[in-house]
Amino acid sequence: MTTQKYTSYLFIAGLFLLGAVMPMVLKQYHLNMLTEIILFALFAVSYNLLLGYAGLLSFGHAMFFGMGAFTVAVSLIHIPGLSIWGAITLAVVMTTLVGFVTGGLLLRHKGSYFALLTLAFNSLFYAVATKWHSVTGGDDGLSVTRPDLDFGFAAISMGDLTNFYYFTLVIVGAVIVFCWYFTQTAMGQTVLMMRENEERMKFLGYNTNISRLILFTFTGTLAGLAGAFYTLHFQFCSQSAISVDMTTTVLLMTFVGGTGRFWGPMLGALVYVILQNYLSNITDRWPLFMGLIFVFMVLFIPGGLTQIIQSLKNLFSGKRGTGKPLAAKEG
Amino acid sequence: MSEFAVFFLHGLAYAGLLFLVSAGLTLVFGMMNVLNFAHAAMYMLGAYFSYTLLQETGQFWLSLMVCPLLLFAIGALIERLLLRRVHVYGHVHELLLTFGLAYIITEVVKWTWGNYPLAVNIGGFLGETVELFGITYPIYRIFIFVCAIFVGAVMALILYKTRLGIILRASVNDGEMVNALGINVPLVFTGVFAFGAALSGFAGVIAGPLLSTYPGMAAEILIDAFVVIVVGGFGSLGGAVVASLLIGELQSFGVLLFPKLSIALVYLLMAAVLIIKPSGLFGEKQ
Repeated sequence: MTTQKYTSYLFIAGLFLLGAVMPMVLKQYHLNMLTEIILFALFAVSYNLLLGYAGLLSFGHAMFFGMGAFTVAVSLIHIPGLSIWGAITLAVVMTTLVGFVTGGLLLRHKGSYFALLTLAFNSLFYAVATKWHSVTGGDDGLSVTRPDLDFGFAAISMGDLTNFYYFTLVIVGAVIVFCWYFTQTAMGQTVLMMRENEERMKFLGYNTNISRLILFTFTGTLAGLAGAFYTLHFQFCSQSAISVDMTTTVLLMTFVGGTGRFWGPMLGALVYVILQNYLSNITDRWPLFMGLIFVFMVLFIPGGLTQIIQSLKNLFSGKRGTGKPLAAKEG
Repeated sequence: MSEFAVFFLHGLAYAGLLFLVSAGLTLVFGMMNVLNFAHAAMYMLGAYFSYTLLQETGQFWLSLMVCPLLLFAIGALIERLLLRRVHVYGHVHELLLTFGLAYIITEVVKWTWGNYPLAVNIGGFLGETVELFGITYPIYRIFIFVCAIFVGAVMALILYKTRLGIILRASVNDGEMVNALGINVPLVFTGVFAFGAALSGFAGVIAGPLLSTYPGMAAEILIDAFVVIVVGGFGSLGGAVVASLLIGELQSFGVLLFPKLSIALVYLLMAAVLIIKPSGLFGEKQ
């Protein structure tokens, strides 16, 4: 256990180091893509906490992402002089509230019922974002400018892509590490065990409903933060940020990466963003490929890329893989 | 007064269509516990098949017969070749599979028929109007409602009055026992899924002339059909009837009375039902 944790810390430090040297290696276009990958990695990690850890399949995760994205856009437009921190904080507060209220309603159901309800709620938010033109800009969307990062004594220009990349790397990266830390805590382990045997957890005196609501709200906040960075990154926010397609995107990222490991969805985000960037240059039929990848993965690699990696590991260490999807594990 | 009647009848027509779509969805869900995200995509496929058939032959009744059969075959293949394989991984994978299928069908439709609305003309007496309560009203909208009543009645008869219905309901409750009694339960499930697909195709043929045929029609009705199932109660046929009527009329009168709010009214109804009775109006306690 201790060596495993030690390896994880080394792994995290290595990732940050790798991220730190990237601006010297990559061109602007690819650095742009990497920023996108980092913010979507957070979105996917938050989704995996729901799907992989708690076993809750949501088709409405985009409502938090979009809520965060819109809160940043609307507040930057309507509150003059708002700092980048202020906008992000507002987004976090908003999504926490939305997560708490919708979670209270949605979590009364499980399984397919839950999935269906989240989809319906997402549609409600999407409808509001589309129709409430005076606030959200409807089909036209909202354009914003990134405010500079002001420390009082010094300001760092966020107009510069490299600076914003470092900002994203540090903040979003730290939050992802916090998520990983969360899965190691008693609360994170409770969620895992709840998925395995809820009756027993109830019997042991855990209030599973409250644990689930806390987790749901937490993942909503994380998705909202990812959404906030989405607006800041693209300096634009439209109703597509809150659409069902955005949920499908994160679902596919998580699924391609694999729900079996904490790091799986981050790998999925990486593969997805790169694939989408290149495929959309080649063909307009991107959704068709998305559907085909979906069906292919469900049929043949139900555990995602982490399953393949795990099988390869087992192959080299002489163990045999089960071929079944892996359960979420720490590390 | 006549305005009221027109909106009431509009509501009935939309309720009829909603019921036709959600009946298949709720049947498959109630029997197999599979929430078929591709249901609305199949419905759209039915509408497009019907469009092509009408272009070629001009026979509306023919397409009303043939398209559900085509969808029946497609549904049987999907269940047999894809859905059954992922059953062991649980409902998450089943949902994901149908979700991916919905994407594929939608894209294939766009590829084949183009990404723009196609108007469907049926002609014949269905394309005419009738004098009703002192207003002129299109016969086709009344026809939709009649179709919904017909389909609902046939489904209820089969499910509750025939030997087939007994087998179906028994397979849901205790598949192993029914299997042991010499009935091919996997085949029964293939049949149920295929029948659900056929119903979606039937609804698609009906929807074409009413809403015109376009690639967004699937996404548009899918959410409403889901709301019908939530409000009526999961897997309940009677609930689907009541919820379809409620939502159809709410949509219709919402546009008349609160044009700005109309899009949110349906969701408000859903939220209200969820708060008061989480399992839906006719749903059993989970």
